[in-house]
Amino acid sequence: MVSFDVQRIREDFPILKSKVNGYPLVFLDNGATSQKPRQVIDGIKYFYENINANPMRSIHHLAEKATEAYVEAREKAAKFINASPEEIVFVKNTTEAINLVSFALPFKHGERVATTYLEHHSNILPWLKLKENGLNVDFVDIDENFDLDIDYYKEMPAETKLVTVAHESNVTGTVNDVKKICSLAHSSDTLCLVDAAQSAPHIKIDVKDMGADFLAFSGHKMLGPLGIGVLYINKNVAPKLRTFMTGGEMIKSVKINKVEYADMPSFFEAGTQNVEGAYGLGLAIDYLNNIGLNNIESYEKGLMAHLYQASKTINGIDVYSGRSKKNGAIFAFNSKTLHPHDIAYLLDKKGIAIRSGFHCAQPFIEDKLHLEGAARASMYFYNTKEEMDSFVNGLKEIQVEYG
Amino acid sequence: MDEEKYYEFVDLYKNPDHKGKLKDFDFKTEEYSSSCGDVFTVYLKLENGKIKDATFEGNGCIISTISISKTCGDIIGKTPKEIQKMGLGEVKKIVGVDEISLSRIKCATIGLDTIKKALRNDSSE
Ligand SMILES: Cc1ncc(COP(=O)(O)O)c(C=O)c1O
Repeated sequence: MVSFDVQRIREDFPILKSKVNGYPLVFLDNGATSQKPRQVIDGIKYFYENINANPMRSIHHLAEKATEAYVEAREKAAKFINASPEEIVFVKNTTEAINLVSFALPFKHGERVATTYLEHHSNILPWLKLKENGLNVDFVDIDENFDLDIDYYKEMPAETKLVTVAHESNVTGTVNDVKKICSLAHSSDTLCLVDAAQSAPHIKIDVKDMGADFLAFSGHKMLGPLGIGVLYINKNVAPKLRTFMTGGEMIKSVKINKVEYADMPSFFEAGTQNVEGAYGLGLAIDYLNNIGLNNIESYEKGLMAHLYQASKTINGIDVYSGRSKKNGAIFAFNSKTLHPHDIAYLLDKKGIAIRSGFHCAQPFIEDKLHLEGAARASMYFYNTKEEMDSFVNGLKEIQVEYG
Repeated sequence: MDEEKYYEFVDLYKNPDHKGKLKDFDFKTEEYSSSCGDVFTVYLKLENGKIKDATFEGNGCIISTISISKTCGDIIGKTPKEIQKMGLGEVKKIVGVDEISLSRIKCATIGLDTIKKALRNDSSE
């Protein structure tokens, strides 16, 4: 695609034509989940009308087609992040991916995991839970602009087995230099997990270049259906891992006194998988590739510049995003007088959907932002400058009327 | 979408009745709302088996603040037993709304929930 025609793109998203409370929907909660193009919606219907069977098991015609669809989806996911198919494990979402790693990595008593203050709860709780088994969890600090203390990774405690970090913060949109962090981790023989839930929808990812050992993302935040996500596991790291869930499909041979497990990626895919989801995610990836992640990134940059410029005219708000070295398409703010829930409620009355609350990142919001919550508008490539203006004008009206 | 009604009370929201600490209280407890991060503390004073005074501290959204403020006023003169029987229906009456959307029920009832919790905590002694 040469020029970026947002109006044509919007035609592909049926839900964007909705009216909410009498206003055209302005959907700015993409960080929570994205909307779906008809290519994905229709594709899922096509799947059930033409392909559905249990893949990998039966050998009849439809089972063959379902297997092909599943294998092809894995190939697409692999190519999307420059990995090989055997390095792609399909999971439910980012949360499951990170939990899987927390179960599969054989930690020894006294070893350490370094997470950060910027993380979503899904990249904090699986590690805190392992404290019961004697794991130590460190929180890498951030500065006043929410940039990570990179120096931490240069002199980590020797027992640090894993560094785990969000590529992009879901609260402030801070984009971390994960390539540098992975390389620093590796120089002290530490593994590196990257939570790409917020970045994969917006930024071209190349796991080889990044150097991550594990990388997790959710399909639903990047046009795909709910209930499908990806965990990339570097093929050199995979042999060191233990099973997560056990059962059908993840075995070669089962004898009562000797079980031989399947190779990657089936090793981590026990039971009948979400083939519909994988198929839908494949179609979402096709859609994103067709537009081009680079085009998406540069379009969103323009959108954010427009928003930040326009937002300067709103009185009585504090803005937390846009201050870090690199920032994504997230606008985090608070009204000086109104609670974030009230802002979200009053914007919804004007058809504008944003998120309010802790954003599943309580340590960051409480300990670092010193807030009880925040409001967040998160953009995607189908949002327009006109929508940014509606959002800004909506906020201004609310501040005048209630602030 | 009846909770619009709450938003008629913005002035009250900025300066709610029954806000503050009670110097002399019999019950005090804190309650969190997990989705928004609000924390409220209530103070209750009992006399002859009835609530003599009730106050709250903490900041929340308009719905939770108006609701806790008005509920503190409503329970004065009631017995702990009567209060334990109250629910969303009573809260709606106290504020004067008929309907509240699913996502805001917690905001509307956090006041009453905190008061009930305070009474439960100490009635065990
Ligand atoms: C940075 C980050 N990590 C992890 C998650 C969890 O994703 P999911 O709920 O799809 O598992 C999210 C989603 O909100 C996120 O923003």
